[in-house]
Amino acid sequence: MLEKFISFLLGRPAWLRSLINKRGVVGHLWHALWNAGPNLLDWLQGRWKKMDLFDESFTEEAKTNPWYALGGMWYWVWVLVLVSGFVLMIYYVPVTDQAFKSIERIQYNWKWGSIPIGAIVRGIHKYGADSFIILATLRVYRIWFTGSYKQGHELTFIVSLLILIVGMYSGLTGYLLIWNQRALWATKVMATFPLYLDQNPTWIPGGAFINATNQGKTTAQILLGGTSIGPATVTRFYSFHFMLSFLLMIFFELRVYNHSFKRMNISHWTKFIIFSIILLVTIFVPAAFGSPANPEVTPNPILSDWYFLAMYHMLKLQDPYLATVLTVGIPVLVLIALFLDRRPEKAWGQRQIFNWIGIGGCIYFIVFSFLIINSIADLHRDAPLWYYSMGLFLLIGYFQDWAYVMKRDNARWYQTFHIFFVGFIVVSMSANTLYHYYGDIREWNTLSKPMMLEMLAQNPALTQDQAYDILEATRPTLNLWKTPAAAITAGKPVGMELWKIHVVGWLGFMVLGTVIGLRRWARKRDLAADAVLAKAKPKTVGA
Amino acid sequence: MEDNTRRMLLKTLTTLPIIGASVLAMHALLRYFRPTLAGGVKALMAPPDEVASAPQVAATLNDLTKPWDFKEFIYVRTSVEYSANKTQGAKIPGFVVRLPDAVPGVDPKNPKTWFVVVQRICPHLGCTFNFIPNREELSGGYNFAAPDPFHPYFACPCHLSVYDPTRAQKISGTVKGVSFDELPGKVVSGPAPRPPRTMSFDIVDSKILITETEGGGIG
Repeated sequence: MLEKFISFLLGRPAWLRSLINKRGVVGHLWHALWNAGPNLLDWLQGRWKKMDLFDESFTEEAKTNPWYALGGMWYWVWVLVLVSGFVLMIYYVPVTDQAFKSIERIQYNWKWGSIPIGAIVRGIHKYGADSFIILATLRVYRIWFTGSYKQGHELTFIVSLLILIVGMYSGLTGYLLIWNQRALWATKVMATFPLYLDQNPTWIPGGAFINATNQGKTTAQILLGGTSIGPATVTRFYSFHFMLSFLLMIFFELRVYNHSFKRMNISHWTKFIIFSIILLVTIFVPAAFGSPANPEVTPNPILSDWYFLAMYHMLKLQDPYLATVLTVGIPVLVLIALFLDRRPEKAWGQRQIFNWIGIGGCIYFIVFSFLIINSIADLHRDAPLWYYSMGLFLLIGYFQDWAYVMKRDNARWYQTFHIFFVGFIVVSMSANTLYHYYGDIREWNTLSKPMMLEMLAQNPALTQDQAYDILEATRPTLNLWKTPAAAITAGKPVGMELWKIHVVGWLGFMVLGTVIGLRRWARKRDLAADAVLAKAKPKTVGA
Repeated sequence: MEDNTRRMLLKTLTTLPIIGASVLAMHALLRYFRPTLAGGVKALMAPPDEVASAPQVAATLNDLTKPWDFKEFIYVRTSVEYSANKTQGAKIPGFVVRLPDAVPGVDPKNPKTWFVVVQRICPHLGCTFNFIPNREELSGGYNFAAPDPFHPYFACPCHLSVYDPTRAQKISGTVKGVSFDELPGKVVSGPAPRPPRTMSFDIVDSKILITETEGGGIG
């Protein structure tokens, strides 16, 4: 009986097949869903074969173009970091009250009882890790800007990005081991981050349920080894720090062995030069280690390691829940953008939207890092500016791309203009900018001051505190659908309305654009299928 | 497809127990990383285990005689730790601030209303915030222009959240079963989502005795 039932399901019965054979959007979507598993497997197998981890398929290009030698250099630096790390493990003590001292002993090698070349080994480990991040970042950008993730090389980009993220996490777990102030506070911020997973707004479907499952607290406890930072955290981080690098390296070595790749596409001289540069930096700029961790005092200003600085600045400008979602979401957004780039063109001038996404990323990274190092932050002024610029970058890219497509297809302007894409950007850019400008939850205090003075002048019976409380009640909050009644009567719901326009407009343009795109796609497929049928069964003359 | 039905069935029948076994193995692995007291599948969704801590003295009334006198203190909370010791004393820094009598809610006859006692762990992302008694530092270092008349604020150096100790913000929660619906330290600037975490206290023999702390922060 069961066998019959399963065979009935597996045999794709007639009523299911009829759904597949049906034409139009629904039929095609159903077809896609029906074949999703095998298609995904095929897709992965094809990409897996073409995956390029260390530019091993660019050996010839690497001889003349240093951009293609990045993979080889990256691998070499990784080897240096691993080897120096193994040597450091001999002296490092992963216990809270000895960690800092053991590093000090490794570093200050001119003192009595010192460890010869300890400072150099540590310097190679530290600066090697920095070079690792730099080279990995440059390589990700190279793949992005040259469009080499196209034509079946998507997995190359995805894996490069994942290794960069793992490398950053490895760096974070690594600098806690020093047990200095920067490490302690960075770890605190990092471990407090997942707690926002338990604070989903209840209007999200299933939000309350996710909150009740304590996934954020569970994550934080798995990271920290308890409910606070302590000895268990250090041993855990030590283990993760070592494990991530080493397991990945084994994985790569296995791949190199299986496919008999050339491991590094750089010459021995290049390896020697890279090693010398790191060595020279180590000697002239000894690796710093700050002051011992003190959970009672947060120094002001406090900075994270350089590759987290931009993210750290972003946290200042955002509602924390949104900031958490964004931080996790940025790599996901990059991956989505990757799959939106469907055209085969790789040349610089022929894919301007995606170039501008990359350029925007570079600009935010550099400018945000500069701002936080110099402690420049005007919470009220900055957020709208950044939202505005983000939309602007996309729009510039869009119009350049539009001009290109018009020329390529020899088309009229309205034939290639994507009103939904432009509408999407314009609505989100302007509404988000204005929302952050007028209805922002930050700096409401400064904004409300003149209003409060006005209110006090009109009604002398009010105390300052009462006036303040009335204003506070009318303050727009980050609540999507409920404009406070008091705000409407006070005639100041501007922030809320803008936020609603933003969300509704955004979703509307997205849904409309998707529906129209799908209809076009289905029609194209039907025409192609008809063409195949017409070819297979030529009509008999006279029939 | 129809020819392969028997093979597919056998494959399905062997795959199901393998999937089940891997789920169980993953569950055990997660329990390895997070050995909570709650057992079974509940362990995947259980809140953190808690350990009771002894009451500790934060300050004496003689320390805080004038308005806006404040004292930093460390409350050592026993927290769960997945190490050989099982627990560790996590240092929770705190502030006791004496409020002026003019602040609403301060009753000159009831010493318990004179003080604001908060954990210094910023509810935003866990840094330790400071007590800022002057206007210039607040506007220069923390990007906050305080309204007149000036009084001190709490402000966090990491992401520039500023809290007003004289005003309460509505938020519901519990400290060891005793529920509250508002807390002092309203957020007036910066990205913080809520006022600082609270501590329950008693005044015994002119000493301010911290009895329990609100959970949730990373110590």
